Amino acid sequence: MDSNAVSLTSVTKNFGPVRAVDGLTLAIPRGRTVALLGPNGAGKSTTIGMLLGLVPPDSGHVSLFGHDPERAVRLGEVGAMPQEGGLIPRVTVGELLSFVGGTYAAPLPLGQVLALAQIADLPDRRVDKLSGGQAQRVRFAMALIGDPELIVLDEPTAALDVEARREFWAGMRGLASKGKTILFSTHYLDEADEQADRVVVINRGRVVADGTSAEIKRVVALTTVSVTAGGEVAWLGRLPGVRRLEVRGDRVRLRSSDPDATVMALAEAGAVRNLEVTPADLEDAFVALTAKETV
Amino acid sequence: MSGLMGYIRLEMIRTVRDGGYVIFGIAMPVVMYLVFTNLGLAPGDRHYAAVFTMVSMAAYGALGGAFNNGTGIAEDRAAGWLRQLRLTPLTPAQVVTGKVVTGVAGVVPSIAAVLLTGALVNHVTLAPGQWLSIVGLLWAGTIPFSLLGLGNGYRLTGQTAAMANVATLLSLSIIGGLWVPTTGFPGWLRAISGWTPSNSYASLSWHIAFGEAPTLREVAILCGWLVAFGLYAVYGYRRAARTA
Ligand SMILES: Nc1ncnc2c1ncn2[C@@H]1O[C@H](COP(=O)(O)OP(=O)(O)OP(=O)(O)O)[C@@H](O)[C@H]1O
Ligand SMILES: [Mg+2]
Repeated sequence: MDSNAVSLTSVTKNFGPVRAVDGLTLAIPRGRTVALLGPNGAGKSTTIGMLLGLVPPDSGHVSLFGHDPERAVRLGEVGAMPQEGGLIPRVTVGELLSFVGGTYAAPLPLGQVLALAQIADLPDRRVDKLSGGQAQRVRFAMALIGDPELIVLDEPTAALDVEARREFWAGMRGLASKGKTILFSTHYLDEADEQADRVVVINRGRVVADGTSAEIKRVVALTTVSVTAGGEVAWLGRLPGVRRLEVRGDRVRLRSSDPDATVMALAEAGAVRNLEVTPADLEDAFVALTAKETV
Repeated sequence: MSGLMGYIRLEMIRTVRDGGYVIFGIAMPVVMYLVFTNLGLAPGDRHYAAVFTMVSMAAYGALGGAFNNGTGIAEDRAAGWLRQLRLTPLTPAQVVTGKVVTGVAGVVPSIAAVLLTGALVNHVTLAPGQWLSIVGLLWAGTIPFSLLGLGNGYRLTGQTAAMANVATLLSLSIIGGLWVPTTGFPGWLRAISGWTPSNSYASLSWHIAFGEAPTLREVAILCGWLVAFGLYAVYGYRRAARTA
């Protein structure tokens, strides 16, 4: 058995003149929770579409659990929630979910899925009468009911309120602890940071960073070292690790890739006054990564 | 296998709850049948009118059901439902089978409602063999129209497909002589009518109802349209698959 749940090798997809995905390679071992993070139009949904066998790649290779996506879907190994759509009018939530469950060999009991998706009070509601957040949870329940090994969610929390989002992730952690492989896309940096074992940042169809959120921050994000300084300050910009210098009144903010070295150098120069060190956050890393690509 | 049965069940539930289906496919043909026959709007004596219009309206209702099924495909595609189905373990063949079975089953209530009204309200009496032949012909004869409706559903988007299918249903019904018999048509229109699939479709059953044998010409014309609409549906599906 293939140890990777997902394996994309140099996949490329063009839509006319637009290169949506550009030679992307990604392997996800079984049992991991991976976030696909990127700005609008980065190619997240297209990547997910190819991974699920919905979008044929122009070139490259996709395999799920060692076979092609269509086969993995037929075998019930995959449950997925596309970014939008998938609900039909004139059926109830319970009817819809029972049908989807019935297409899998060993579905979860309806009650369990309703609870997991926090829609226990809705099974008799018509699908076309749901609020945006409720509809989103039903779509999520459709991805889970087959009890698949791989769960793929394209922006799963986009329509959820704060409370629902927290409960949603609690449920997902439960599934992850049962050994399920989870791949989700998001724009929410904190979500990628907190919920995923690994964050894959994509921009313009390419992987621009791949690792734990701590690793990504370390590689690309710049720590801010601030001191109070007067007079001529340009020399501070030449200290070790400093990439950028900003002056705000008498405060000087040094963006550093090596804050230890920067602080050491400041101390040697006797320039430590009101020292403040602010660690990078993922947001900075994300902006740095994606901005680099667009210039 | 249980997946396919579940799919058919789900689609049946949706059909039964669809106002468009109930109105165009069942209620309207029955109402029109009663109006035409009881207000003396139908041709010939009362008995002739009751039999002739019963077949016309059953045919009209069946076509309504068949086209409605095609419209449903366009809505499904717009709603992302076809994509959702592709994400379940159902095979494409099962999905198409399910939709065809639902469509074929969906015309049965339309036919049954009008024929029952004929027998119970308008006292139409036919030999059991005639009843069976009419039900069979009206039922099987909807296949070309289902294909035309599916072709529109695959090729066009939700609203446009619905409009196209209603327009096609009405023009085929009227020109085919289902609403008003072609005997009152001007010569040129009657000539056109003779080539429509709807006129051939109903003529098969009109012949049976009046104890005559269907003509080879009607069978040939209907089969010709079957091929044409079949090609159209395949073309539409290919296009839909490319752009989905
Ligand atoms: N069916 C399509 N036809 C033409 N262009 C497309 C199509 N689907 C996607 N694209 C283009 O491909 C690029 C990647 O789109 P994609 O939907 O994968 O982005 P995304 O990362 O999911 O964005 P978002 O965060 O907005 O959902 C975009 O430039 C988009 O306009
Ligand atoms: Mg997207």
